[in-house]
Amino acid sequence: MALTVPHPCGVVPSRPGYAGPFAAVVRRELRIFLRYPSWVVGMIIWPVLFPLIYLFGSRALAGPEGQGLSAFARLAGTTNVQGFIVIGTTAWMWLNMTLWAVGTSLRTDQVRGVLESNWLTPVPRFVLLLGTAASHAVLALAVLVLSLVEFRVLLGIHFSPSVSGAAAVIALTIPWVYGLAMAFAAVVLRFKEANAMVYFVRGVFMVFAGITFPLSVLPDWMARIAAYMPLTHTIEAFRAALLQGAGPAALRVHLAFLFWSGLLLLALGYYVFRTVDRLMRRAGTVGHH
Amino acid sequence: MNRSVPDNAVELERLSKRFSIRTMRENGARRRAVQKEILAVDGIDLVIRRGELFGLLGPNGAGKTTTIRMLCTLLIPTSGRARVWGFDVAEQADEVRRRLGVVLAGERSIYWKLTARENLEYFAALYQVPRDLARPRIADLLERVGLTARADDLVERYSTGMRQRLALIKAMVHDPPVLLLDEPTTGLDPQAARNIRDLIRHLHHSEGKTIILTTHYMEEADQLSERIGIIDQGRIIALDSPQALKRSLGQGSVLRFELVGGKDDLEGSLRTIPGVHTVTVERPADDGTRELILHLNDPGAALPRALDAISRGGGQVRHLQMEETSLEDVFIALTGRRLRD
Amino acid sequence: MRTILAVARKDVLLMVRYPMNLISRIFEPIGWLMPVYFLGRAFSQGGSAPGFAAWTGTGDYMAFIVVGWILSAYVSAVMWGMGFSLKTEMDQGVLESSWVAPITPARLLVGRTLASVAVTTLTSIAFAALATLLFDISVRGQLVPAMLFSLPVVVGLYGLGFMLAGLVLRLRDANTLIDVGNFVLGLLSGRDYPVLVLPRAVMVLSLILPLTYGYDGIRALLLGTRPLLPLPLQVLLATVFMVVMILAGLWTLQRLDYRTRVEGSLGHH
Repeated sequence: MALTVPHPCGVVPSRPGYAGPFAAVVRRELRIFLRYPSWVVGMIIWPVLFPLIYLFGSRALAGPEGQGLSAFARLAGTTNVQGFIVIGTTAWMWLNMTLWAVGTSLRTDQVRGVLESNWLTPVPRFVLLLGTAASHAVLALAVLVLSLVEFRVLLGIHFSPSVSGAAAVIALTIPWVYGLAMAFAAVVLRFKEANAMVYFVRGVFMVFAGITFPLSVLPDWMARIAAYMPLTHTIEAFRAALLQGAGPAALRVHLAFLFWSGLLLLALGYYVFRTVDRLMRRAGTVGHH
Repeated sequence: MNRSVPDNAVELERLSKRFSIRTMRENGARRRAVQKEILAVDGIDLVIRRGELFGLLGPNGAGKTTTIRMLCTLLIPTSGRARVWGFDVAEQADEVRRRLGVVLAGERSIYWKLTARENLEYFAALYQVPRDLARPRIADLLERVGLTARADDLVERYSTGMRQRLALIKAMVHDPPVLLLDEPTTGLDPQAARNIRDLIRHLHHSEGKTIILTTHYMEEADQLSERIGIIDQGRIIALDSPQALKRSLGQGSVLRFELVGGKDDLEGSLRTIPGVHTVTVERPADDGTRELILHLNDPGAALPRALDAISRGGGQVRHLQMEETSLEDVFIALTGRRLRD
Repeated sequence: MRTILAVARKDVLLMVRYPMNLISRIFEPIGWLMPVYFLGRAFSQGGSAPGFAAWTGTGDYMAFIVVGWILSAYVSAVMWGMGFSLKTEMDQGVLESSWVAPITPARLLVGRTLASVAVTTLTSIAFAALATLLFDISVRGQLVPAMLFSLPVVVGLYGLGFMLAGLVLRLRDANTLIDVGNFVLGLLSGRDYPVLVLPRAVMVLSLILPLTYGYDGIRALLLGTRPLLPLPLQVLLATVFMVVMILAGLWTLQRLDYRTRVEGSLGHH
């Protein structure tokens, strides 16, 4: 006699949808992060430590009497050298941290052994990755706010911000950064060489995106490449919003570029992830480390 | 939503898996990469009934792991079909995952920087178990494996046995009808291993779970399984209850000789002795000794004649042992090697 | 000596079997230096940085920085290389096997870093050549005196390296210590800029560090920059630093190793 039960499992699932699992992944990541004191300390220290090389370097270049400042102001459109530099370095650090944390998350889980446990559940795997990305975005926003406070209090850097402008830049930076990181996560999972890939990508951005210098000092060919990089637009727009009080309307060209970059890179992230997932299911290499 | 419960928990129909791998081939002084196909699973047909406790045995490289990974949807089959609780593993992977609880990689399958409770709450969320149902279920599971007192400690502070227990109850948090346990007692001390086996028995007898168990420990498979499938070179080479498999080798006695020397056709002459069911010769060791295993129907009649045949054949017995037939013997008789080789 | 060379040989073999790592050690610093190069161009007039020249006596800021980076590569190889290799072995679970071999911890560590120093020399030469091409650097100073001056500095770093290795043995989670420590040391000792630009309170710390004079003396010899102290005095300081650090480092390593053996915590990670 065939038995009929309310549900094949002993428990009835709640409303369908993945909000619960997504939130569980975010909680998991935040909990684990807070249990590594050295990571928390790093999150507080690095935003202010990293730009110091460039800040002291710019002091050296400006000269004891500020002899070099006029050249800089002419090219950058501002005499707030420190503000100019820390905005660029902070944006670059956000990308760097994201590539490491989110971009290597799948590989880290694979090495730890928990990737399979997660991929054996009925939640779409991309939702799990999105959860990791979202948890990191929460941390990154916290770091951003902390950084701005540290710059003001510890380094005495002044901003003349447009809050709506800055918020718009942040909102439209999130999709492209995390789309790129998710594509990265899939590629790293497949090819396993995380270090070399992260160094390469962040190196390219470091060279081209104007993190510490005005783009006008770049040779033409480099400036053309830089114009197609989303990080360049994030940094330019952020500088305009925080140093010159530019609102969303004034930033529309940059914001439009960021919007389309976000769509493209999120789609790319999803496509690359699905491809790698399919390949790994064919080869059975999910558990390999 | 009502749905009838299938009679068969797992069905494999001509299930196969081929892998393409790159190897280096010597070609005179040069080496070049060539693509090679490996047939890891070769057309397996298997039905596991609802509520059965099934043991799957096989050495490394036999296709056991590949079969398991196809069943739990981590690997797509090349051809054939596999169904878990009526759902196809390739086409309906999500439905399969809802009905399957899997323990792979034991203690490495849980988060060490979370507590036991946090691990279970997390996986309960991923299996979409409602919170009001998950909490009492988690408390019950922790109680069953004796982890309640340490439920709020980080897993990194647990012993291996505790982590293994947690990995097992993690697979049960959504109360799946089918459990797939890959070497659940490996690395555990005897007491801890016994506790896990008791839990497996309870899940099977009292809760009617269908359990597929893989193990290197023959005694474990023997004690727990209602039926055993022995897999080698991608095929099921034996499928029956443990008792029937052992009976297939004779009335249940095994005689093991460790020999030095002796004629090459010694095996043949031993086979003709009345009371001897089968003779298996193991590969010779580096020091020239070899092991002969005789499965006996009539130990009283066969033993003196066997010793006489060995002596006349110029062999010297270094060591002699008589015991009950085990699954290991079945395995050696079928494959010519030990499970752990 | 044979055992030291055996350890060094093994490590060199391992390093060259990962050619991508070697290549990235040449090109990665270029990536880090590009933002500095372009930052400098933003302050330059007519191809030279007058502000920089006012601080240091040279407007060739890229030459100043490249020399700093080459020395810091040795700092990493020696000082951090020991601690880092210990940490890696701890994580892989092979540290105990090395530690029970009949070779003192100090000799083992020296062997490790010899390989690192040898490879660093090769990659530094390649890096310097590449940097010269890209950044149009000119070095008009005295190469041999500069190399001789750097010897006691590098040997002294071994002492510092022993201390850090001992700390890694005790702390076990060394990544943050190494990362932050390396960075802060670079900030304070003037790897990328003259230490005179630092705020007063920070400059005091900087002037206590022997490594600051290492960077300063080598630049004075190679680039003709204005030294912080007369060069003969800096040579004396470097020599004293070398002797003190070697003795202090060996003593610290021995004490911390002993404590680890008493507690039996060598294999933990």
